[in-house]
Amino acid sequence: MAQPKDQLIPANDRVTFQVKVAGQGEPVVFLHGAGGLLWDPFLDALSDQFTVYAPFLPGTGNSTGLENILGFWDLCLAYYDLFDKLGLESASVVGHSLGGMIAAELAATDQSRVRRLGLICPAGLWLDETPIPDIFAMSPAELLAHVVADVDSPLGKMMQQVPSDIDALMEVTIARVQNMQAAAKFLWPIPDKGLKHRAYRIKAPTLLVWGKQDKLIPPAYADEFKRLIPDAQVTLIDNASHLVTLEQTAQVIEALSGFLAKQPAAALA
Amino acid sequence: MASARAFFPCAGALAKDAAVKFVSFNLMPYRELPDDFEEKYPSVWVTPPKTLYDPKRGHRFYHDYVDELEFSIDLGFDGVGVNEHHSNAYGLMPSPNLFGSILSRKIRSQDKTSLLVLGNSLALYNPPIRVAEEFAMLDVLTGGRFIAGFPVGTSMDTNYAYGVNPAELRERYYEAHDLVMKTWTTDELFMWNGKYNQLRYVNPWPRPAQRPHPPVWIPGGGSVETYDFAINHKYSFSYLSFFGHQYAQKVMDQFWDRAAKLDGDMNPYRAGFAQIVCVSETDAKAQSDYEEHVRYFFNKCLHVDPRVAEAPGYRTVKSLRAGLRSQFDGTMKSAAVLLKEGLSWQELNEMGFIVAGSPQTVADRFKEFSEKLHVGNVMLLLQIGSMPHWLTMKNLQLFAEEVMPKVQPIFGEWDASHYWPSGFGADAEEAGEEARTTSKEPAPAFGD
Repeated sequence: MAQPKDQLIPANDRVTFQVKVAGQGEPVVFLHGAGGLLWDPFLDALSDQFTVYAPFLPGTGNSTGLENILGFWDLCLAYYDLFDKLGLESASVVGHSLGGMIAAELAATDQSRVRRLGLICPAGLWLDETPIPDIFAMSPAELLAHVVADVDSPLGKMMQQVPSDIDALMEVTIARVQNMQAAAKFLWPIPDKGLKHRAYRIKAPTLLVWGKQDKLIPPAYADEFKRLIPDAQVTLIDNASHLVTLEQTAQVIEALSGFLAKQPAAALA
Repeated sequence: MASARAFFPCAGALAKDAAVKFVSFNLMPYRELPDDFEEKYPSVWVTPPKTLYDPKRGHRFYHDYVDELEFSIDLGFDGVGVNEHHSNAYGLMPSPNLFGSILSRKIRSQDKTSLLVLGNSLALYNPPIRVAEEFAMLDVLTGGRFIAGFPVGTSMDTNYAYGVNPAELRERYYEAHDLVMKTWTTDELFMWNGKYNQLRYVNPWPRPAQRPHPPVWIPGGGSVETYDFAINHKYSFSYLSFFGHQYAQKVMDQFWDRAAKLDGDMNPYRAGFAQIVCVSETDAKAQSDYEEHVRYFFNKCLHVDPRVAEAPGYRTVKSLRAGLRSQFDGTMKSAAVLLKEGLSWQELNEMGFIVAGSPQTVADRFKEFSEKLHVGNVMLLLQIGSMPHWLTMKNLQLFAEEVMPKVQPIFGEWDASHYWPSGFGADAEEAGEEARTTSKEPAPAFGD
């Protein structure tokens, strides 16, 4: 596994990002979901083909300034400031779950900054007839059952492991609460913060990747995203729930790399 | 006679007969949850089915509870107390101020008992000057016999039932506090450009009867942030748990530790705690009278679904760290775990969850732990769980007439006037103002 480099980058006076960077080739910014950022086999495989920049959401890892962010507008501006600091005039952005919601907002707000948009079972929309369960009111076992298709798979078993050492357990628990706290700032109490009004502005070609058995944000939301985003296509992946990037890593990488490597239509003309 | 108060206490005057201050507190529970409630439903809070609530029974309960609080005024308790909960089957006061306004009619007609609203969860009011207004109304209605409580509110109430973002709750609380206090202490109309509140015309009528403002009490759990907030503002800190005096000891020790470090003022009236009390003719009769109702409370009313017990971010990381350590290393079994495992009546008594017995037994216990805790204010839960009206009335009367006189004045050297209402009369305005701004009694060393 490639060792990502950690950078601490003040985006502006109020927000500082810890960013994991690895790989080579075209830049891809990856925005993680509510569970936090781990350099996992998916990111490792992605960095084989692209230069991956993976910032921690403010309030998680060593990223700071969550309390200075009033809402999604502030959050978008902080990410644009980070792009500036990374020298990314524009980049492809891939986001998972909450990260997908942020990626979609970034693409809708300043169309020039997001080249191609990869949304992996993103949050951000709400269907009354298919409500998204409350991740902030679940036991760990219930949460796991919502996000993996098979809790008895090697991945499911790995995620049930608890450190036996008290100090390690404390740190894991606190990191988990901090991840959830930061996520809750943007998802509480219902993960609909108005993206439906702005999604029409997304001009970047968009790929929606969804686990067919997603029990947290069901595939009905893939249809809704496709309906709202002008240039969007959907790839459904079988035998996967919400952690589709870890459950079916190869298939997600295949779908994404083909999509991200495509030249923009304008460049071909 | 215990704790007779001067009608208009002079600032700095030593109340020679000052004893523990007793507040008759009522949570207003629903008394008829089904027998299988805790097996059938996940929680008494946030998610209990509304269909279990019968408004006809609710009507009866509300009026029983108002009768009980009014009787407490007749009996001469130092205070009657109400508080705020939401979507909660044991705390049926989404708006405690409504009950405060009913009680204020009787409170104004006597000079012993004050009204304690403990309190309004500031972050839940939009704009928060609503609290400044309604509390000022209650202060005026009671004739300056009002204590203002400012809780953050539980996560169940604020985050889950009322949808406040846990990442913003404390900031909203502190901003609302600053706004309410400025509202009370500023004579001129002012503008407020806050992070969460923008108001161009802050000028509520009425203003409070007590000058510059009613005494402020802060209910809270055991977090250093809350101790410091109360101490630094000269507010009274109240540890509102249902686990009684032994569990309160650890929190109060930490609180007095902080007080000693921050300002050295050990006035016992700057702290309070809650205690379930059951008085009957004999110790044995107390068990036969009260056990089923106490068990109803511990088994059904404390049946809270852990999934909605604490939103991420409700506690600061600092508090979380402190709490997790004792939870993980097993040094201290949580009270909730002990209760779930089941305790005998005697164990409940010995561990301080309840103080139950004959008047003499109860008085002896109070003397013992009041000094140890060094706490001047006790929120008495004399109605608890399914306790019927007649039994609550008996409990109230026995406590007031048989226990209170036996609890000897133990805080005689201390002046309560900064933390208790000054009343409202010809010269009360000045007396209260002075009392609230000059509370620098030289503090004797606390403890050994």
